[in-house]
Amino acid sequence: MRIRVIRSGGLLGMPRRAEVDTSGLPDSAELERLALEVVTETPSGAAPGVPDGYQYIVTVDDRRSVQFADPGLSDAQRELVERVLGEGA
Amino acid sequence: MPGASTVFSMYTTQIAGGRNRPEPAAGRCLCGILPPYILDRLAEADDPRVREAAQRTLEIDTEFRENRLAVPSLAAPAPAVDFILKRTVYDAHHGLALPGDVVRNEGADPVTDGTANRAYDSLGLTFAFYKEAYNRHSIDDANLPLDASVHYRRSFNNAFWDGERMVFGDGDGLVFNDFTISHDIVGHELTHGVTQYTVGLVYEGQSGALNESISDVFGSLVKQYARRQTAEEADWLIGAGIFTPAVHGQALRSMKAPGTAFNDPRLGGKDPQPDNMGGYVDDPLDHGGVHTNSGIPNHAFYLVASAIGGFAWERAGQIWYDTITSGGLSPNADFKDFARATVVAAQSRYGKGPEHEAVLKAWSQVGVNGNG
Ligand SMILES: [Zn+2]
Repeated sequence: MRIRVIRSGGLLGMPRRAEVDTSGLPDSAELERLALEVVTETPSGAAPGVPDGYQYIVTVDDRRSVQFADPGLSDAQRELVERVLGEGA
Repeated sequence: MPGASTVFSMYTTQIAGGRNRPEPAAGRCLCGILPPYILDRLAEADDPRVREAAQRTLEIDTEFRENRLAVPSLAAPAPAVDFILKRTVYDAHHGLALPGDVVRNEGADPVTDGTANRAYDSLGLTFAFYKEAYNRHSIDDANLPLDASVHYRRSFNNAFWDGERMVFGDGDGLVFNDFTISHDIVGHELTHGVTQYTVGLVYEGQSGALNESISDVFGSLVKQYARRQTAEEADWLIGAGIFTPAVHGQALRSMKAPGTAFNDPRLGGKDPQPDNMGGYVDDPLDHGGVHTNSGIPNHAFYLVASAIGGFAWERAGQIWYDTITSGGLSPNADFKDFARATVVAAQSRYGKGPEHEAVLKAWSQVGVNGNG
């Protein structure tokens, strides 16, 4: 599974993009579970967000794409973007 | 709120403080981004979550508008009232839930957490700035309590205004420092609140870039005011000190020289801000590049302040403040509309003198026609 995350906005306003191919990764099952949960549970459509908040676009296998924005991320959304972008805990 | 609030001066009667937040200006929603007509559309959306949220916001909005009609004494011009500063700093404990737990209330002694204390102090400084410079009673001009949440998420590289409060990340310590480090960041975020309660510029495209620029302008002025620096002495940087020493960059933005604030692959490259309309970008991300195109009006303000000289919050800042509070500007204003409004504001306050001339010249230098 290929998971792409684009994070835009923020106080700085510089976008960040990252993509992982889960095949062969030690945590592939966990990443795929998170990605499926996020694309399934995130409502479709644009996420308006707040001034200086980050906006996220998650795309799985170039087919399913969802958008969400700070604040109010679910635990799965937060964990997925942090793992793919290599940030957070 | 006797005992819980700091009363600054003795004008006439004290208006209600405490947790009863005063209403935003008529027609503005709490989120500060969506005008009511979009909320109306969202209220009919297919997705039940979107629909419910929009309906809730519309209900609150209508309630506020009705309250406003029922309380004509709150209509402009505002009566002289006490200045009531009421800060609350919360700790989000690195989680997603906001606001978190209260760690410091107004008037309480400093706590052991330096981040909470810095947020508290910067809120107070921004309140004092708006009071002293423009006689404004907090961000809504009706003594709105000022709330901030610190330690949002883990190693979170951002700070934002969520429509009700400031939210700060700690930074990852590798690229970004703690976001409470710089007074102008707090000034920037709280000014999003001021814009929300005044002109209500829509956070998209040119009106969004103006919204961003107004936050940079007054964020920078908060810092200049704290340091008692003239336009010539000021660094005109936004967020100086936010990057760790490992990063090649001095700040998030430069109003004096947009496009020169940083250049580092860890930030995604070079500062992309233009300083004139020739460099305007149509970016599909970041609400149409609001943090990029803000360089154009930012530089116009810098040019006005430098041409007038002295303390920038006095005449240049007053012209910008009059522009956003006059009621003459649409929430969908573009750069040209805004430029013309600043020209009108300069003339109504200072006549056709050097201030008026400085404003006209600055907009022309950044490629925006302010003469219409
Ligand atoms: Zn901003």
